[in-house]
Amino acid sequence: MDLEQLRKTAAEVVVREDVKYLIGWKQGSYGYRVAPVFVEDASGAAELLFSPLCTANLATYLTLVEKTPLPRGQEADKRKVALLVKGCDSRAVTQLIVEHGINRDQVIVVGCPCPGVVDTEKLAEKYPEQGKPAEVEWNGENFVLLCDDKETELPRDQFLAEKCRLCRHPNPVISDITVGEPVEPWTLADDNGVEEIEGKNLEERQAYWEEQFSKCIRCYSCRNVCPLCYCQDCILDRLNPTWVNRAVNFSENTAFNIARAFHLAGRCIECGECERVCPANIPLGKLNRKMAREVRDKYGFEPGVDPEAEPFQASFKPDDPEDFIL
Amino acid sequence: MTDKPKVGVYVCHCGINISATVDVETVADYALKLPNVEVARTYSYMCSDPGQVLIKNDIKEHGLNRIIVASCSPRMHEPTFRKAIQEAGLNPYYLEMANIREQCSWVHEDMEEATAKSKKLVASAVAKVRLLEALESKEVDAEPAALIIGAGIAGIQAALDIADAGFKVFLVEKTPSVGGRMAQLDKTFPTLDCSACILTPKMVDCASHPNIELLSYSEVEEIGGYIGNFDVKVRKKARYVDFDKCTGCGDCAAECRVKDRFPSEFDQGMGKRSAIYLPFPQAVPAKYTIDPESCLYLTRGKCGKGPKCQEVCKAEAINFEQEDEIVEFKVGAVIVATGFDPFDASRKPEYGYNDYPNVITGMEMERLVSASGPTGGKVKVFNGEEEIEPKEVAFIKCVGSRDASVGNEYCSRVCCMYVAKQAHLIRDKIPDANIRVYYIDVRAFGKGFEEFYDRVRRENVRYIRGNPSEIFKRGNKLVVKVEDTLTATPLEDEVDLVVLGVGLEPRADMREIMDLLRLSQSPDRFFLEAHPKLRPVDTATEGVFLAGCCQGPKDIPDTVAQAKGAASSAMIPLARGKVMISAQVAEVDEATCRGCGFCVNICPYTAIELVKINRFGHEVEVARVNEALCKGCGSCSAGCLSDSIQPKSFRDRQILPQIAALGVLK
Repeated sequence: MDLEQLRKTAAEVVVREDVKYLIGWKQGSYGYRVAPVFVEDASGAAELLFSPLCTANLATYLTLVEKTPLPRGQEADKRKVALLVKGCDSRAVTQLIVEHGINRDQVIVVGCPCPGVVDTEKLAEKYPEQGKPAEVEWNGENFVLLCDDKETELPRDQFLAEKCRLCRHPNPVISDITVGEPVEPWTLADDNGVEEIEGKNLEERQAYWEEQFSKCIRCYSCRNVCPLCYCQDCILDRLNPTWVNRAVNFSENTAFNIARAFHLAGRCIECGECERVCPANIPLGKLNRKMAREVRDKYGFEPGVDPEAEPFQASFKPDDPEDFIL
Repeated sequence: MTDKPKVGVYVCHCGINISATVDVETVADYALKLPNVEVARTYSYMCSDPGQVLIKNDIKEHGLNRIIVASCSPRMHEPTFRKAIQEAGLNPYYLEMANIREQCSWVHEDMEEATAKSKKLVASAVAKVRLLEALESKEVDAEPAALIIGAGIAGIQAALDIADAGFKVFLVEKTPSVGGRMAQLDKTFPTLDCSACILTPKMVDCASHPNIELLSYSEVEEIGGYIGNFDVKVRKKARYVDFDKCTGCGDCAAECRVKDRFPSEFDQGMGKRSAIYLPFPQAVPAKYTIDPESCLYLTRGKCGKGPKCQEVCKAEAINFEQEDEIVEFKVGAVIVATGFDPFDASRKPEYGYNDYPNVITGMEMERLVSASGPTGGKVKVFNGEEEIEPKEVAFIKCVGSRDASVGNEYCSRVCCMYVAKQAHLIRDKIPDANIRVYYIDVRAFGKGFEEFYDRVRRENVRYIRGNPSEIFKRGNKLVVKVEDTLTATPLEDEVDLVVLGVGLEPRADMREIMDLLRLSQSPDRFFLEAHPKLRPVDTATEGVFLAGCCQGPKDIPDTVAQAKGAASSAMIPLARGKVMISAQVAEVDEATCRGCGFCVNICPYTAIELVKINRFGHEVEVARVNEALCKGCGSCSAGCLSDSIQPKSFRDRQILPQIAALGVLK
């Protein structure tokens, strides 16, 4: 990735009068951290980064920005927002367009073809994080860790994030400006990422998820980071009726996690952010991926690839399979 | 909720429908102990006048403000009791029905358990009734006009009735002429009057009626709106003949360069027509039409030195530049009278319909015996060597009906009688013919049917019970292979002509109409009526009615009766000039709606749209419900991720306590 080209392109975009700011990544304060940055002027573009550490899906900020009440007479800022996206992030943008979360003409998509990002936890396990920021770069098939003037080769099969291993769209599915050359999609492993779950019988599954959901501390990080969980008033927060009680226990935790999985059925674009941010290490990716596989296998639908698609949860065909209806 | 709820619970015996299985007194005693319940009574028939008076008096005496009737399904008597409590001064939506009949007494046997369940159902209703809100119904104006789709006998009759009552009718017919299937028939059973003779006066009437606007050779493209206010868009297909100038003289068809080259739709392909044609001599309107798929000039851009039709037309009516025209209008009600398709006999390959010219369908037989048909009414067949009068004629019934192998389990209701009629006509024309009818059952249920069937048998038409397995050729003869199941005798019957008594099927293009009007199909794939017994001409879409065979196979009298029923139902909103809009509709919480539009997609009634609103200075999209279109079905609510759209009276906060009271939720 040519960072100079990225920064130059970004600088050209942010100076445009119809652009409010550009959301991108910058180096974090320590270790393998990468922070989001809102670039408002050309000088800010110099901070931008795109590396195998840029796991965060910035599309979530498109809907996270609060629309605070405006004083009477004051016009809302209708300028566009520019956004750096990887393949998976672009699917979130596409899905947001499908469900009117954002308007297509309100966003400038700056596409960054992505050869895959690293799993920072696996990385930190082998090469513990240090007080100062480290860099990771793409190097052919593999990654390379740059730290203390040392270059350490990181084999792809050891450090590639799980979501990337299963990724079918490394190149952004929509973009207004593309930085860098398209990436050749890689051959996917034979497994579909949910074989481990599917291999369990009902009792084993129950036991597995009971253990996992019991760990949940209901911090709602998964919900907050999710680019497609953007209801301004989440039903899980409501009191009348109380769909999910606030008590943190297996039953309520399960209700919460299952409700979220169902709300994401046919919407989840598998960016893996929920699983990445979960402080309790609940394998939420598996849960959402299983839903996504059901949707893909039964209905041939993949969310976030076609901005003209009908939203899956709101479309019906007379010949839709319904063998799961009891 | 301003005042404290005071609930009255009324438990109905429904004769012994409920009380034989449910101890109604125990249920009432139990109800009295429930919170906010002031009065609990039982009565033999709560829906009767004294039953209603009981409720009304209690409302006045005890100041009741919420009423529960524990009786039948709300589909049965909710309107009855709503009206009753309204008469006593309560908001009609302060009523809750506990269904202890269909959902309890009728489906259980054990009295103790059924009583316990009834108690739960009543407790559940009490939990909800306290949370109900007062709703107000609204009225909107209704357009005093009707749209009728399809101008067969059903559409024609409905149009005439509505037009005679003084309302405007738009009668849309896909083909160039009105008349439909009935116009193709020769004689009609069981009275043997000539189909054309009784139909053509009606066809002429509907074309000349001042209140009927006949849109022939036209198709409905779009229908929006709702009962009382449907917005209709119709495409008038180009005839390439100026409608006003054409005199119907027929010079054009006589001179057409491809004269009599194309199978005539009206004659079931047995006769021929030109590229410019009148479907049949009595067609209404008597205006010629150019078939764009067979006209040389329209398909190849040239026709000799110039189109001959244009040369000979004294009225100068031929216009190859003509284009489709879109007509838009508004109506208050819609009648669907789109008819049927005859069963395609090639789907029963064992009968060799595609292989042997002398295996014909009942519809083809109608044209063959008709004086206006391709043979002038003479029944002749070509046996491979010469043209002969068929002396051995076999009819096979239930072809494509009562046959799960072709997906049609239903009885087509007309085949028994039309086969009997055709057998009679053959006997009439060929007195020495040997005629036999292969049947599974003979269903002669209508007025005069059994007598007619008897008469035909007495005319020496042999009825042989057996369902033929195969038809094949032997020399100049067709062989019907069949077992006479009454004598258990296998037969190989050599005949000259086989008539397949094909059944009636839903039209192949019915999905277009279903999508236009959001109609449903019953398991037989015909259009689904709102209630099989009590609302046989209504549909789930208010203001849309069904007439004729599009709803299910019917003979002519039944079709006419249903058409008259549909006409009178359609005239209710037209005559009132107003339609009541249900108050039980979905409502959007604009503060929490995220404007994703899922509900817009999901709504089966196109009742929801996205609108832009100003939310504290920001322009945002939210869903908005058209209350006139909404049926309160709740589909939107099920699809809403933020619970921002909910049907009134069925909000989560109203039904969750109801479910909790059943002991399902904690």
